[in-house]
Amino acid sequence: MLLQKFLGRTLHTTRRFYAAGAGLEKSALSALRKKTGYTFANCKKALELHNNDISQAEKWLHEQAQSMGWSKATKVADRVTTQGLVGVLINGNRGAMVELNCETDFVARNDTFKRFVDHVSRIVLHYTDQTEFDGDIWKLGFDADALKNLETPQGGNLADHLALLIGAIGENASIRRALCFKVNNDLMLTGYAHPAPTNITTTQNITQVGKYGAIVAFRARDFDDLEVQKGICQQIVGMKPIKIGEYGKDKPAENKDDETCLIYQEYLLDADKTVGEVLKERGVDIVDYHRFECGEPSKRDLKDLLQAQQLNSN
Amino acid sequence: MMSQAFAAAVCRNSSLAIRCSRRTLSTAARLQRNTRHLAASAALTKSWQRLPAAASAATGNMQQYVRSYANEKKVFERTKPHCNVGTIGHVDHGKTTLTAAITKVLADKKLAESKKYNEIDNAPEEKARGITINVAHVEYQTETRHYGHTDCPGHADYIKNMITGTAQMDGAILVVAATDGAMPQTREHMLLAKQIGIDHIVVFINKVDAADQEMVDLVEMEIRELLTEMGYDGDKIPVIKGSALCALEDKNPEIGSEAILKLLNEVDTFIPTPVRELDKPFLLPVENVYSIPGRGTVVTGRLERGVVKKGMECEFVGYNKVLKSTVTGVEMFHQILEEAQAGDQLGALVRGVKRDDIKRGMVMCKPGSVKALDQLEAQVYILSKEEGGRTKPFMSFIQLQMFSRTWDCAVQVQIPDKEMVMPGEDTKLILRLIRPMVLEQGQRFTLRDGNLTLGTGVVTKIMSGLTETQRSELTEGKKAREKKEAAKK
Repeated sequence: MLLQKFLGRTLHTTRRFYAAGAGLEKSALSALRKKTGYTFANCKKALELHNNDISQAEKWLHEQAQSMGWSKATKVADRVTTQGLVGVLINGNRGAMVELNCETDFVARNDTFKRFVDHVSRIVLHYTDQTEFDGDIWKLGFDADALKNLETPQGGNLADHLALLIGAIGENASIRRALCFKVNNDLMLTGYAHPAPTNITTTQNITQVGKYGAIVAFRARDFDDLEVQKGICQQIVGMKPIKIGEYGKDKPAENKDDETCLIYQEYLLDADKTVGEVLKERGVDIVDYHRFECGEPSKRDLKDLLQAQQLNSN
Repeated sequence: MMSQAFAAAVCRNSSLAIRCSRRTLSTAARLQRNTRHLAASAALTKSWQRLPAAASAATGNMQQYVRSYANEKKVFERTKPHCNVGTIGHVDHGKTTLTAAITKVLADKKLAESKKYNEIDNAPEEKARGITINVAHVEYQTETRHYGHTDCPGHADYIKNMITGTAQMDGAILVVAATDGAMPQTREHMLLAKQIGIDHIVVFINKVDAADQEMVDLVEMEIRELLTEMGYDGDKIPVIKGSALCALEDKNPEIGSEAILKLLNEVDTFIPTPVRELDKPFLLPVENVYSIPGRGTVVTGRLERGVVKKGMECEFVGYNKVLKSTVTGVEMFHQILEEAQAGDQLGALVRGVKRDDIKRGMVMCKPGSVKALDQLEAQVYILSKEEGGRTKPFMSFIQLQMFSRTWDCAVQVQIPDKEMVMPGEDTKLILRLIRPMVLEQGQRFTLRDGNLTLGTGVVTKIMSGLTETQRSELTEGKKAREKKEAAKK
């Protein structure tokens, strides 16, 4: 392996002699590209502008990255983004859930993109710190426009950071929506993103990423009973309940596969029980929950769709 | 000899033709609506099924439709070995332009039909085996081979394409723009190629007209390094530099059409021709067994691969049994057949086995060529509700019925790298069969739960057989499992 690499290197250095004596700049260009990861075209331009001075060229590239990102972002702005990831971040009594979109699922699988999901989740979570609140539960949703203008602790707003990402991956991307939660007193938060890797011990302060996400606010007899917390989150992700439901007020559906009330649904981990029975058994009381599915039409989209349909039928 | 040589490839390609004609159906319907003055519509209905060549024109102008439907369709001539390739790469690096350029350059040599960029670009949704895939298919041929060319927009589409198996890719062309070099997601493109079992990649560095020589050399070096890192032989992989756009616009032939021809030449030589079904050891999944008084036992089925002749040694495998025998006669349509070939529906008279020894679901094969297995790893696509799958996700330990070839068997499912699987997802699964059945890498199967199809998949890895304790665990209930878990703690 090492030998192979070495041989490869010598091959390339020998080839350099043939390439019209451009030896010096080539190594500079390759070094700059390796170091910064910016596109070859941009690295080349930077070196030309600074007489092959790598450190100055690098500085220039970093300065230009923002505007280059913006120009790329405006160029690709009208391309549709249907793929992406949902990020769920829980830290003590605060939680955030965000949805980011991109054009292809290749990008959604890439670490650069995942890191950015983490970055955005943390900024949204940070926002909860700035609000004083001592009631039981507080939540706030952001739409795409609000998120763009969100100031970041690192400087600049989120739209600037997004433009940098677009510059790096060369594909359109968008931050579609976000939600932050804060609970107090005897309430707790738990979150889950699917697909989740197995064998994770803690989800505290780690951004979980996936195609689906859920955040649940609850009261419990035993807050360390992580198994049931995860079970409930999986239930919400998997079975898509519309509401929690109340005994006495809501009636179970006739066909149990169509059940939309959480408490009457069959528990995924144990089909013999309903979720309501499991909750009672474990002493858990669900107060509120939210579910994100990557690419699902939002309420606004649905409204637009309905309008379009009406227009068509007229 | 020539005709039989390609009979095997027919079965691979027949599904493709069917899909094409289905698309034709819908476009033809549109056509009829729009051009009522076209009196020849009755003639059209007759001819469209025979016409795969013009079928993939999903977009394009009206004129073209009219012309292609009014003319008699070209008959597909199978004179060259077939090979399936695909393009992968970043959205802006010119995958589609390259595909268009390939068809154009070959069309100039009368080897393909030129396709325009927008004809390939809008990868239409196809329904293969009831699963929706975004995929564009293009066909062309070089001097030596005939190609089916696949282009999908996303990872999931390539995976679904692999699973439904309509066009398993034998090799891939990785497209990288010289101006950008490798992107962060190029790593994911290579991972995908690994995952869908592509061992042969040819790299095309595109847009060299917009870059200078040293940039191009550096991109090549970088891509070779990355390929080596991802487990490919980066130093041996052919890298061709050119500009697909120049080839399309007939400019700078040295980086345009000549580069495309050079690329095709590398594809011809570097990606090996897949072994034809006919050249493999014979295999016949048993459909029925009959006892004919005075003659003996006859098994029937469709010969999946290879050639069967009178006097050949054979073996029956399945249901924990391996029986040796000899083929004493081959018949098709109640007539004696000298030699049955892959694809034939036949009856084979076998010596020395009783009717009750053989059961539907076993396979008759060349002795020692296949084995029965009870544990395997597979890549499976779980149908969404819209595709007729189930609404609920599932977890490990679910019991399903697995159907493959002519057999079916109860299996227990393990999900290795997730906790649950949602409908509409593709996933890796470990399947444990309740009894060993004939299975091979690349074999396709369907998983059913009660009366609905849950998913469809392909065997990716053969695993060691189950131990006695593991087998007894298969039939264990949930309660017993929980008890064991608790005891462990």
